[in-house]
Amino acid sequence: MHMANELLSIPVATGTLAIAAGSLGFICRKVRQVIAAEKLALMGILGAFVFAAQMVNFQLPAMPGTSGHMVGAVLLAIILGPHLAAIVISSVVIVQCLIFQDGGLLALGCNIINISLVPSYIGYFLYRTITNGRFSSLKVYIGAMLASVIAMEAGAILVAIQAAMSGVLAVPLSTFLITMIGVHFLVGFVEGLVTVTVLAYLQQLRPDIVADSLPGTVRLSKNAVLATLGILAVLTGAGLSLLASDLPDGLEWSYAERPDQPGFETVVSNRDSRITAVDDFQSKYSLMPDYSARASKLGDVPDRQADLGAGWTSFAGITGSAVTMAVIWLTAWMLRRKQAS
Amino acid sequence: MHHAYIDKFAYQDSAIHRLDSRVKFLVVLVFTAVVISLPRSSLSILACYAIGPFAVLVWAGIPLKFVFKQILLVSPFVIVLALSCPLYDRTPVAVSFGPFSWQSSLGWLRCFVILGKFIVTMLALIGLVSTTRFSDLLAGLQRLGLPRLLIIQLGFLYRYIFVLIDRAHHILRARAGRKLRNLGFKTELRTAASMLGSLFIRSIDTAEHISIAMQARGFDGSWRTLSKLKVRRCDLFFVLTAAVFMSGLYFFIKPILQ
Repeated sequence: MHMANELLSIPVATGTLAIAAGSLGFICRKVRQVIAAEKLALMGILGAFVFAAQMVNFQLPAMPGTSGHMVGAVLLAIILGPHLAAIVISSVVIVQCLIFQDGGLLALGCNIINISLVPSYIGYFLYRTITNGRFSSLKVYIGAMLASVIAMEAGAILVAIQAAMSGVLAVPLSTFLITMIGVHFLVGFVEGLVTVTVLAYLQQLRPDIVADSLPGTVRLSKNAVLATLGILAVLTGAGLSLLASDLPDGLEWSYAERPDQPGFETVVSNRDSRITAVDDFQSKYSLMPDYSARASKLGDVPDRQADLGAGWTSFAGITGSAVTMAVIWLTAWMLRRKQAS
Repeated sequence: MHHAYIDKFAYQDSAIHRLDSRVKFLVVLVFTAVVISLPRSSLSILACYAIGPFAVLVWAGIPLKFVFKQILLVSPFVIVLALSCPLYDRTPVAVSFGPFSWQSSLGWLRCFVILGKFIVTMLALIGLVSTTRFSDLLAGLQRLGLPRLLIIQLGFLYRYIFVLIDRAHHILRARAGRKLRNLGFKTELRTAASMLGSLFIRSIDTAEHISIAMQARGFDGSWRTLSKLKVRRCDLFFVLTAAVFMSGLYFFIKPILQ
């Protein structure tokens, strides 16, 4: 569920990048005060473990030919605590972007939030609340299962919301949301099963690791988590309700003209020439031009002449670019042959 | 190790490879932002923008076959979403391209623009990653203000990815040698889980050994590198060229092509 550049608009991308950078910086500062130098190697290697663990696949039932693998965020959150897990998984996401090119550079903020920050905190919190008290395998089972499914779903829902806020989706938000939730329920379920079985195995071999006594872990206060979750819920709710209404909001209605009511007077209007000039400039050169398909919407009554002209310019653009690239490639090829001989 | 191929081209040498990593990173970031902000109705301007990263890749001597294989490898999610566009947006559009013109739908146009943007930004990212060593990139990112803890974490992670992937391959081969048929989900799951568990325990043990060895050599949590970052004249030239290329296309070619 790595987000790609193309599914984001610039404001959403920069906003999420800022949020991710801010929270990572905050977590790093907090952890830095607590952690000893010898734990740095442990964190790095557990990050590499996530990559290695994704190679270990197993057959899924009912779907011959498919195989599942582990994501590992919740396992790390359970064992390392949420802060360290957030840093480790974030570094995994950054390396996936920079070395394996999975997910775009601008989408890095989204990916860090969806795959690392939100799942590790939610997963940790759910697991710890449920398994509080004496160790019992039933509690571990329910805790790890719920933590995996809900952490995965939270990330998936965020993907849908970010894409919808960017206005890129042609698919209606509800359809996209339902698909994402459905698919990630299955993924989260398998993830939960693996997490549980790995925890059971570790409990047999190294109970000290599971029993939350791995030195250097940082725990967090319950109130802080509750407050964060509350804020997150409110933000998500607000975002969803904004998106759910297809109508423009009140402010827009009040200053825009209303084609359905010719007599409607615009409440806000500014005829100042400087403002119009700025508006013109912005609409001409803005980094986020509104999506427009003015020419193409008139497809039923095409203006033949103008249409043909547009066709030829785009033809020139594409062939010109292709020819330029071919020339660049040929020149490089000839230069290299000359060097070799 | 059989998989160091992922960033092997970063260890070549060319004028592009020698550029300062900070400069390359920032240029790629700005380039990506500009490409993403292009209008969603024009394909031809995207083709023009592709020239830039293409030239960099060719100049740096990165095989194009490798580049396109890499793009194909990471594309499934984007392809699914792009292909869902024509299903939902059926507004008819008259498309004309040179001497040809035909009826299509807005959805198909959007689909191709999404794919085009994906390919162009991926070209730029691969151009950055396969011409910059990861350690140089990290040093540059540290200078740009990334927290030191994160830089150390990324350094360790990169160092041990391939070691642990190798170890996972050994375990997988052992399983393949013993398991000759499908064992049913329950057994499969238990086997996979014990493989993961032992991999986990071994990782923790390795980490312990490494940190003991590093402390014996005086590691105190700070990261010292030999690489000196310096912005030279050719770096400035690169930035200037990139800026002229991007803004020229944005302000002069884009209005014509729309």
